[in-house]
Amino acid sequence: MNQYENMAVSFSNFFCLRRLLISSTSCSRAYLSGFKSNLSLDKLYPTSRLDITTIPKAPESKDGKFSGYIPMDRIQVNYVRSGGPGGQNVNCVSTKTEVRFHLASADWIPEPIRVKLAERVKNQISKEGYFIVKSERTRSQQLNLADTLDKLRNLIHSVAQSLVVPEVSEETLERQRRLRERAARERLKEKRAHSMTKQGRQSPTLDS
Amino acid sequence: MAGVGNRVLAGTDRALDLLRELPRLSLSNIRSNPKAFKRNKRGRGQHGGKKHGAGNKGSGQRQNFMRLGYETGNNPFYLRVPKEPYYKGHHIRREYPPISLMQLQTLIDTGRLDTSKPIDLTALCNTKLFQLSPFENQYGFQLTDEGLDNFKGRINIEVQYAPEQVIAAIEKNGGVITTAFYDAPSLIAMRDPMKFFASGTPIPKRQMPPENAVEYYTDPKNRGYLADPDLVALERFKLAQKYGYELPDLKKDPELLPMMLERKDPRQIFFGLNPGWLVNLKDKKIFEPEDEQLLEYYRS
Repeated sequence: MNQYENMAVSFSNFFCLRRLLISSTSCSRAYLSGFKSNLSLDKLYPTSRLDITTIPKAPESKDGKFSGYIPMDRIQVNYVRSGGPGGQNVNCVSTKTEVRFHLASADWIPEPIRVKLAERVKNQISKEGYFIVKSERTRSQQLNLADTLDKLRNLIHSVAQSLVVPEVSEETLERQRRLRERAARERLKEKRAHSMTKQGRQSPTLDS
Repeated sequence: MAGVGNRVLAGTDRALDLLRELPRLSLSNIRSNPKAFKRNKRGRGQHGGKKHGAGNKGSGQRQNFMRLGYETGNNPFYLRVPKEPYYKGHHIRREYPPISLMQLQTLIDTGRLDTSKPIDLTALCNTKLFQLSPFENQYGFQLTDEGLDNFKGRINIEVQYAPEQVIAAIEKNGGVITTAFYDAPSLIAMRDPMKFFASGTPIPKRQMPPENAVEYYTDPKNRGYLADPDLVALERFKLAQKYGYELPDLKKDPELLPMMLERKDPRQIFFGLNPGWLVNLKDKKIFEPEDEQLLEYYRS
């Protein structure tokens, strides 16, 4: 041990070296163990649980509001061949994505939104009652699936928005009424003034 | 002393007498042959004076020269080629040579990559199929989305850049992807570890990313190595919703879980080796520093 240390000292002035034997069978204490510098994640984020495996709970769609969560086990995804030009690739590769689900029994969409949606997309609902959304926008299956779900989510969201009646305060209603009446008054005033102008252009008669 | 009395001394005798009398040879009593060296002639007097090498009249003697690069009216060389804004800073821009998901799948299928261990830059360079040149501003590998639909491997991979759909493809199959930054000296060590260990240099500590890259590597959306893992978990869930797959529960596979969660410290370059360690391959030994200052340096 001392011999090696002397050798080490002779090589460099201040670098103190200690011999550490690697064994093929046993794991040395510092081997494979987490090295922790001052910039390790537990020091950067002391309040974090540092767990990437946690799966958060899906947000619920309650009180008639759509949360944006689409349960993948409640919808069917089909991949079919796309249309358009493309030779062998378009003939052989299934890149068109179709997402379908039974609209009436989709309880992951709140009831009022479901009803309005059924009315809005009645042309895209099959005879059995399945609502179908399709996309063949890109050359990739996965990107088309993302596009389909994006379409579906935006559709549901826009339907939800149209159902929301904004709460208007009494002052706003009062102000709107006053503005409407004022507009009507101004309009009649201008109309009368214009009428006088037109009358003034006529030649006077014995009566007037 | 030879020749006593009135006898005339011979030449050699006189020479020897001289030698005895004269002082020792030194720099002060020797001189070079004439024209052995040239004296530095400043522009003063006899040969450096008068016109001082400036000739007669004209702009030359009047020291009124045209500006450097001027070509007496025609478009000068340095102005002929216009400056283009598109290449500004090109020599500073970081490059990331691509590896497609299709290539990655092929490597996994043919057994060139071991999926039972985490895959990092060293593992990719060890396949000898990809070259990295840090001297040409290459800072690591990026994953491209070619072969996105058919990727089936379950891996723990660490690259330097990956677009969203690639992250989705890897996580969909139950894998883990991280994006990490390595500075040039670390890259040189990583791409050929054997050569680096043979050089006898202690393992350096990895530097932090440059200012314009910090935002990228601290963003959980990019699975940055400096991002909060809890936020990364949330982003995994959101991405699963965006790309339409059920997020696989990593905890369901307890044997593979430690491998999947294995990560390097931000200052670490090799798995299982700390910065500051000196690896001796020949004698199969590892040396680590004892000095407190050094330990503090490598830990900071």
